[in-house]
Amino acid sequence: MDLNDSVLDHLRAIGDAPDLEGTRYVLEQEIGRGGMGVVYAAHDRDLDRRVALKVLDVAFAGEARLIARLEHPAVVPIYESGVLSDGRSYYAMKLIAGERLDRYAAGTASQAERIRVIRRIAEVLAFAHSEGVIHRDLKPQNVMVGEFGEVYVMDWGVEAIRGTAAYRAPESQTDARSDIYSLGALMQAVLPAPGSPALQAIAAKCMRTVPAERYPSATAFLADIDRFEAGERVEAWSEPLWHRVQRFASRNSILLWLLAAYAAVKFVIFFLRAF
Amino acid sequence: MPWDTDTAIGGNERRFPSTQLTLLEAVSQGMDRDALERVLALYWKPVYHFIRRRFGKGNEDAKDLAQGFFATAIERKFFERFDPNRASFRTYLRMAVEHFASNEHAASHRQKRSGEVVFEPVEEFASEDLSPEQVFEREWQRQLFGLAIDDLRILCKDTGREVHWLIFEAYDLTDDERPSYAELARRFGIAETTVTNYLAWVRRTLRSLVTERMRGVTAGERELREEMRRIWI
Repeated sequence: MDLNDSVLDHLRAIGDAPDLEGTRYVLEQEIGRGGMGVVYAAHDRDLDRRVALKVLDVAFAGEARLIARLEHPAVVPIYESGVLSDGRSYYAMKLIAGERLDRYAAGTASQAERIRVIRRIAEVLAFAHSEGVIHRDLKPQNVMVGEFGEVYVMDWGVEAIRGTAAYRAPESQTDARSDIYSLGALMQAVLPAPGSPALQAIAAKCMRTVPAERYPSATAFLADIDRFEAGERVEAWSEPLWHRVQRFASRNSILLWLLAAYAAVKFVIFFLRAF
Repeated sequence: MPWDTDTAIGGNERRFPSTQLTLLEAVSQGMDRDALERVLALYWKPVYHFIRRRFGKGNEDAKDLAQGFFATAIERKFFERFDPNRASFRTYLRMAVEHFASNEHAASHRQKRSGEVVFEPVEEFASEDLSPEQVFEREWQRQLFGLAIDDLRILCKDTGREVHWLIFEAYDLTDDERPSYAELARRFGIAETTVTNYLAWVRRTLRSLVTERMRGVTAGERELREEMRRIWI
């Protein structure tokens, strides 16, 4: 059958909309497209609340089970999963009020606040890796920052995901260190340029081409972030002497002020005695 | 009025898809006739339109080139060399067509200079604003839906759902103003809710048929999923 353009476009549109007949949900509107399918806002008739409904492109139930394994404050909780009458899998989850990380990064958040967000992402990665789950497609579009500052990492990967080019590790065999690479790319995207050289070095270490040269785990990454925030030397950067002195001065400013005051007093006493 | 009256080659396969073998599975089993037919049924027209647009060929020349491409591809086991890690099958095929037709085009240019071949003017497409690659993708979508709708019509007939088909045809396949559900209910002597249910059944069945058609020309679930993203709006 030959179809003209307007009929073809109509068919493409109606075929995409999920048929929610037989479910407890009423479709509201599309709110995003993720690695595996489309996310809609929907109304749960039974519990009279709004939910996010992810409809997967083809029959694939693994994603919901995988996410359900990850009980963590930074993983959007799944309420229910099922199969639509057209064979597509879906799952319902909490509808997050907030903004995507790419929009958040374009805003006015301070460096400290941005580091807090990166830290939350690294924490949930560390947890997921300990559960044997790899994200595989970590990027700003897959992270939400809620209206109370809470951070959610979404679109947890399955074997089939290849990742998004700008955030994807170069190796073909992905493992936890591939997520570390994406974490570094994401950190570069979120932190304001040019930024601290220590933070740049941390991101660069995450993004080394050879996986063995990256942080061995998200926990090791977090330890370096801790060191940065405590004003200590970070593992990722062999800092020049002047910077070490500067950092020492900034960490020990009270002690240095006391020493300076002591020296000044001694100096005054010396001159009083001399004259 | 059919949209495309220039060629019916490759587009008239009317059989219901008989297998859900992926392309790689078919290749591993020697790419039998069924598998080749699935590829030809879906890709003949996109290849033909791509050649017309990309090289400014006339109807007959484009048909000959498309025919020549598929004949050569089958003879040289081109489909068996497809590597899903490098590109989707659709992209692999389009690039191969471009390569093949470029060589043929260059050869025919040489012939043209000696006065043997007549070309259609490229200006034939001047009013269209799609690139050759976009034309290829658009025709691929058109052909895919066309085949799935043919499958759907047969399925409706075989399962006694003629009214389902007629309602779908009247509502979703019309290029004119769509009738209301109430009007369709009156026309077919059924309740309005039945119209809703019939349309819902046909639409989800169409989606499944499109998916099945695609499964036969993709390497596996990952490619299938990525291609499905290009199909639905």
